[in-house]
Amino acid sequence: MTIPTGPRHRVSRVEARGAPAPRPDGSPPPGDDTDLERLLALVARGDQDAFEALYDKLSGPAYGLVRKVLRDPAQSEEVTQEVMLEVWRAASRFDPARGSATSWALTIAHRRAVDRVRSETASAEREQRSAPFPFSVDDVAETVEASMEAEQVRRCLERLTELQREAITLAYYGGFSYPQVATKLEVALGTVKTRIRDGLMRLGNCLGRSS
Amino acid sequence: MRLFSRRVHELAGGYALDALDDAERERFERHLARCSSCAEDVRRMTSTATALAVAVAAEPPPGLKARVLAAAAATPQLPPLPAAAARRRHGRRVARSHWLPRLALGVAAAGVAAAVALAVVTVSTQDRLDRVQAQNQAIAAVLAAPDAQIASAASSVGGRATVVLSYAEQKMIFTSTGLPALPNNKVYELWLLSTGSARAAGLLPEPTDGKTAPVLAAGLTSADKVGVTVEPAGGTSAPTTTPILVMTLPD
Repeated sequence: MTIPTGPRHRVSRVEARGAPAPRPDGSPPPGDDTDLERLLALVARGDQDAFEALYDKLSGPAYGLVRKVLRDPAQSEEVTQEVMLEVWRAASRFDPARGSATSWALTIAHRRAVDRVRSETASAEREQRSAPFPFSVDDVAETVEASMEAEQVRRCLERLTELQREAITLAYYGGFSYPQVATKLEVALGTVKTRIRDGLMRLGNCLGRSS
Repeated sequence: MRLFSRRVHELAGGYALDALDDAERERFERHLARCSSCAEDVRRMTSTATALAVAVAAEPPPGLKARVLAAAAATPQLPPLPAAAARRRHGRRVARSHWLPRLALGVAAAGVAAAVALAVVTVSTQDRLDRVQAQNQAIAAVLAAPDAQIASAASSVGGRATVVLSYAEQKMIFTSTGLPALPNNKVYELWLLSTGSARAAGLLPEPTDGKTAPVLAAGLTSADKVGVTVEPAGGTSAPTTTPILVMTLPD
């Protein structure tokens, strides 16, 4: 099989900055995620070469995200395999109106990782490693593309209040539910909900604006 | 009403970050279906979450790609939703979209068939042969089922399991490779797991060359997961140890 694609893990700048403004005519925003959408359309018709190209682009972010949530490399590998197979299986269900191809695949990855972490029987082990872990660039950034994204994300996370930042990173990278985040941060549930919402809005604006 | 609506609105962030419990998620999804500003919020926040994901991208393990590509080649795909509905309205069966996955499944089935052949040559008495032939017919029925699907998962102690299943037949065929050998007083037991229940689904036979001959399990429903535990020889009626493998089955 040949790999007719560019560098690994390249994702659309527009996509990665989040929240591109909707265009008046309702068409999708420009960006090279259209390349992924084209590949997904081929995958939906059973094209295995296209799937290989898609794997090269999505497996890095998917594996990195799953490992961030699960921590355990062996489990992360297994869940990433499930995620990529689900991308193959459900490619025809991708709807560009609801977000980019990258978002679609990484939403599957996050959901699967969170399902796994919440069904873990060894909850004691999870408690042990669940001290709040603020975002750290040292922790991540194994690829050039990721480190560029990481730098921008780190800058924008720093602009949030401490509570917003901790609530978002615990929920997303830690896989914790609203009530779990509230317990960990010792604040009311309602506070967590508004901080996550406001923090995400602010983060989206920051990622969308800075260039 | 305004207060309620505002509260539901606030769930958009938790929805985008998968921080909602099942009940909240369902409630929010119902709301989402008729709230276009919420849909836009979710789209924006999911896109922001995607940036958080891309920022932690990491090199996947080297062997993963080959396994994913091989598994994909053996995994049937879902037909597109609206198109499938449209075709049903026109009263025509979908032929083309099923062709490739069926072919791919055939390749995987060939592997299972080889294992079946192995099972046949390892038995000697007529009694066992009769039983195996009956089982082979049942296995053939699963393999030939129009809705046959394949799924695979790694065990936590090494080795992998692969199942071919048919919800229409309510059966699955379970095979494994590379599971560690057990002492004589232990056995691998297979379970169909659903919320709050575990139904015994058979014992894995002694492996030959690291592979266990296919085990046919009946009574499968789409709510089940497949589990394997290590149990005392002879098996038990309920699991007594933590599963070494839990496999989520396709829809």
